[in-house]
Amino acid sequence: MTASDPATGVTGRRDRSGEGRRRSRPRLGLRTRVTAAFALGALGLALLLSLLTYTLSSTYLLRQREASALRQAFVNARFIQAGLRAADPDVPELLGDLETPATSESLLERRGERFASNPVEVGYDDLPDGLRDRVAGGTAARQRFRLAGSPRLAVGVPLPAVQASYYEVFSLAELDRTLRVLTGSLAAGAVVTVLLGVALGRWVSGQAVRPLTDAGRAARSISHGRLDTRLDPDPDPDLRVLSVAFNDMVDALEQRIERDARFASDVSHELRSPLTTLTTAVELLHARRAELPAPAAESVDLLRVEVERFQRMVLDLLEISRMDAGEAELALEEVRPEELVRQAVRAAAADPPDGPPQEVAVDDQVAGLVVQADKRRLVRVVANLVDNAERHGGGLAGVSLIRAGDHIRILVDDAGPGVPEAYRRRIFERFSRAPAAAGARRDGGGVGLGLALAAEHVHLHGGEIWVEDRPGGGARFVVELPAAPR
Amino acid sequence: MRTRVLLIEDDERIRTAMRMALEHEGHKVEEAASGEEGLGVFADQPVDVVLIDLMLPGVDGFEVCRSLRRTSDVPIIMVTARADSHDVVAGLEAGADDYLTKPFVPKELSARIRALMRRARSGPPAPSRLTFGQIEVLPEEGVTRRAGEEVHLTRTEFELLCELAANPNRVLGREELLERVWGYDYFGDGRLVDVHVRRLRTKVEDDPAEPRHIVTIRGMGYKLVP
Repeated sequence: MTASDPATGVTGRRDRSGEGRRRSRPRLGLRTRVTAAFALGALGLALLLSLLTYTLSSTYLLRQREASALRQAFVNARFIQAGLRAADPDVPELLGDLETPATSESLLERRGERFASNPVEVGYDDLPDGLRDRVAGGTAARQRFRLAGSPRLAVGVPLPAVQASYYEVFSLAELDRTLRVLTGSLAAGAVVTVLLGVALGRWVSGQAVRPLTDAGRAARSISHGRLDTRLDPDPDPDLRVLSVAFNDMVDALEQRIERDARFASDVSHELRSPLTTLTTAVELLHARRAELPAPAAESVDLLRVEVERFQRMVLDLLEISRMDAGEAELALEEVRPEELVRQAVRAAAADPPDGPPQEVAVDDQVAGLVVQADKRRLVRVVANLVDNAERHGGGLAGVSLIRAGDHIRILVDDAGPGVPEAYRRRIFERFSRAPAAAGARRDGGGVGLGLALAAEHVHLHGGEIWVEDRPGGGARFVVELPAAPR
Repeated sequence: MRTRVLLIEDDERIRTAMRMALEHEGHKVEEAASGEEGLGVFADQPVDVVLIDLMLPGVDGFEVCRSLRRTSDVPIIMVTARADSHDVVAGLEAGADDYLTKPFVPKELSARIRALMRRARSGPPAPSRLTFGQIEVLPEEGVTRRAGEEVHLTRTEFELLCELAANPNRVLGREELLERVWGYDYFGDGRLVDVHVRRLRTKVEDDPAEPRHIVTIRGMGYKLVP
């Protein structure tokens, strides 16, 4: 289920985890995608330009070369024709007299006889058949062909007046080299262009994502408690919207947190003072109980019990509101669990001092062990569990301390009917009320915050708390704490 | 001899209830509704213990503490709203000997006063002269000298010093010190010891930031090295 609003792109927080898990194909990051797009664009552009440049320049160069070759061939052909008109011409000398550059050679066919200028690289048979046919047919022609891997241009001129055909073969190796150099330069240019595209994409996407990166960093800083973190207003008016909205949000958040914290501290002060007066006055009344008439004395007893309960509830409420405000900090010190549990049990059991003090059974592996813990909080946890057993669990049946791997466990057993499966989680919720069957309750009230607070304290230590059946009947509350410092 | 208590508390109802509870315990109570009034009462007549609410209008509890400490080593108990706030440490650093968190029950209050008084009246049975470094402690006379010159310590600081000096080279845990100096059981607040040790160091160490005599043993407590 996606609660994502397509219009705003705002995703509900509920599917935060599901969303991530459902997407099996890993997605490329925005920056990677932008960079890739830039690289592809640059590549396409470079290829297009290179192709165009190559086509245009090679065509032009070839045409130039052909034109000059034609010109030269026709000039030479005329010269040969003039020479052949003479009586008994010396054909090889005639060919040798031609003004030809080293890159071309001349061939002459006259009445079946073949002549060639020196040195002979290209033989008469090497000439393309099509060209020879056309020249034999009486038309001048030109044709490109490859011989021994090197490109050449052959121009054929029929000389019907002297019954001869004149051919001149030009080497295009230089042109070929020029074109190869051009290709190389264009390829290098394309590579450079793509690299520039990648760099540009990287930079542009970085610029585009920077406000998000900044906002992310600021958000992390805020979630770590530095509420005064703000974004610098972006100079770019398009991006300023984000930084301004972000800062507004943090302002509102900070105000709200401050208001909540102030409220908690105000409530704390407001409630503490009257409670101090109440407890002091009630204790005083109680101390003079003997001087009061019976009904008044009974009222005082009632008042005293209720004031005590009220006081405990207010203290618990304040403690839990501090935890909700994220103000709770562990004051870790080295603690001997054995000693801590003994003291807590003694203190909790001392409240209604009926019966001998409860023994604590300590596993050998825990005896003498020292752990890092917040003494005050752990004492509260154990005291709350003992108190819970006394009030709601039909009396405390035993407290023990055992080792379970890397953890130590504090077991608090009671003599009640146990906690039904269905309520084992709910019992740790605030002001939860277990069903009547779960505990014979003497005060008829709810469990209050004691167990919820115990759970909060334990979780703060990185531990777990749960309730299970005690072998032999009754409930067993288990507190599991890491034995090694976290 | 009745313990005379000066009660500085701005909330009239709490003040009245506390006065009645203290009187019920057999103490003699002087009341003051503000810091200024409290300092005035203290100047007029000597008392054995001062109870100060930290949240006072005008001159607050910290300032009253500091003013009292300038002239007197009278035991001071501060009353705070929250035990886990920085108020406790700030109050102890201002010179308080102990603290109580509201709402408290009268039993706690009288236990704190009794513990302070017991200490104030009967000094610890220790050798009549303890020395380390340039420091000389005379437990019976309540005198501390540093290089021959008298150093002014509050009673709690003095007792803490005696306790440490009487056990040279032995590590004393926070709980042990809480029990011996403050009369606390396991539930005492280790910060009481830490802040008092800090205060003590500024008075007897040459360089309080680099203590040579009263050293911290991490995770265990404190030790006096002669």
